[in-house]
Amino acid sequence: MIDSYWLEVVQGLLALLVAPGLVGLVRWVKARLQNRRGAPPWQPYFELRKLFQKEAVISKNASWLFRFAPYIVFGSALMVVLLVPLIAAPLPLGGIGDLLVVVYLLLLGTFFLALAGLDPGTAFGGMGASREMTVAAIAEPTIALAIFTLALSAGSTNLGRIVTQTLVDPSIAGSPGRVLAFVALFIVTLAETGRLPVDNPATHLELTMIHEAMILEYSGRYLALIEWAASLKLLIFLSLLANLFAPWGVATEPTLLALGVGIVTWLFKLALLGVIIAVLETRVAKLRLFRVPELLGLSFVLALLAVTSSFLLK
Amino acid sequence: MNETAFAQLSTLLSGLILFFGIALLWRRSLHAYIDAFQWQSAVLAALLVIVGYFEQDVELYLVAVIFFVLKVIVIPRYLNRLETRVGGEREMRPYVNAATSLVVSGALVLLAYVITRPLVMASTLPTRGGLPLAIGLVFVGLFVVITRKKALTQVVGFLVIENGIALMAVLGTFGIPFIVELGVSLDLLMGFLVMQVFIYHIHGTFESIDVEQLNQLKH
Repeated sequence: MIDSYWLEVVQGLLALLVAPGLVGLVRWVKARLQNRRGAPPWQPYFELRKLFQKEAVISKNASWLFRFAPYIVFGSALMVVLLVPLIAAPLPLGGIGDLLVVVYLLLLGTFFLALAGLDPGTAFGGMGASREMTVAAIAEPTIALAIFTLALSAGSTNLGRIVTQTLVDPSIAGSPGRVLAFVALFIVTLAETGRLPVDNPATHLELTMIHEAMILEYSGRYLALIEWAASLKLLIFLSLLANLFAPWGVATEPTLLALGVGIVTWLFKLALLGVIIAVLETRVAKLRLFRVPELLGLSFVLALLAVTSSFLLK
Repeated sequence: MNETAFAQLSTLLSGLILFFGIALLWRRSLHAYIDAFQWQSAVLAALLVIVGYFEQDVELYLVAVIFFVLKVIVIPRYLNRLETRVGGEREMRPYVNAATSLVVSGALVLLAYVITRPLVMASTLPTRGGLPLAIGLVFVGLFVVITRKKALTQVVGFLVIENGIALMAVLGTFGIPFIVELGVSLDLLMGFLVMQVFIYHIHGTFESIDVEQLNQLKH
């Protein structure tokens, strides 16, 4: 049982440091696969530093919400990082690290981002907000269902308990329900983090942008916070995928060696999933917008099948 | 439930077979339907081999070979030939749209789980976990036949129903007697060839395989 709150501080700092690097890695692998040289994987750090030094220009029509939202988005993402088992389980704050708390904290960030998109009254912001809500409406129950499948076999919706239970009993790791839940959660990861085929993270064309449309009005430190929060979200989802389904390497005791092993395996799993996402993004084309609910409907059905097969086969 | 390798593998493959069946509700092009059916039959043949291996039943290997030849090679070849002659159309406006169809298919599989719950509880077979998925596949195939407009899609839906019944036979009774298997395969081939002739005639009369056009014959 890990009791020291230093672990939370270390985990939070580590996540904040690694997140932009993860986004940079995905971009770099994509560039290499497309036969370009690409910016180095640490380019997002330079971008963040540049943005923090720039002046924030705010539209005259924007209200207090516009200035308030980036802090909420960043704060909720940081809060989730402290609750999800990244390098060790169970966490000192793990008592409130419940599945539903994590899902709704993520949704809180999405909600305020959509509101902030609507606030200045621009056309792109409203369009991005409505598209984002369509995606989030179908993706959110799927996350809950997919992680609930794991909670059924672990006997608790606490994320730390799910991780430790799979470490204690490895034979449940290969059951068909978990495979289906992994596929469903992977599709939702692509949707929630704004990756192809749901949303192109590198475009500013009206036809294709969802996340970028909502943050189009932001600049300076606000944009830096929102970009950092987006990369934290990618880190959270990939860590969930890695640590809930394949938790080997996560530290369960407070020794320095176990924590070191935990950090190294976590970085390795993140890099692997990042490369997989980069390869997938290079392979598929962006889905036309009216087909995105179909893809999310498919992931919802898979999550439903996962829960049913885990529940009714007991 | 006893999570032996055999049980997990058979349930995993049954899930994959059901997934290919659900793909019929999501894709739009007729060629994709034939592809999904081919993959589904290939995985079902693999499952037959696996059941034959674990149950030490040599007959199942022979059944798997016949199944593979019939459903992965012969029927898809006829289907592809049919599709080049009358195809070029896509399932753009089914009676139930793609997103709703997917949610309904989830509900259908849930229904299958509820219906087969007494059977799964009472059974002691290691493959009992896949039985609800087999019945779910039959329901999904039936749903495809009901809600799709192109005659070719309905034929593929019928073949998927037949796959679901074969899956039920594999999981529930570890295959059926060889003579019965041959009879069923012959019936299926005959039925399919008759349907093929029908589709050629429909296309010849209406220049399209949209079954809504058949309503014109009412007057």
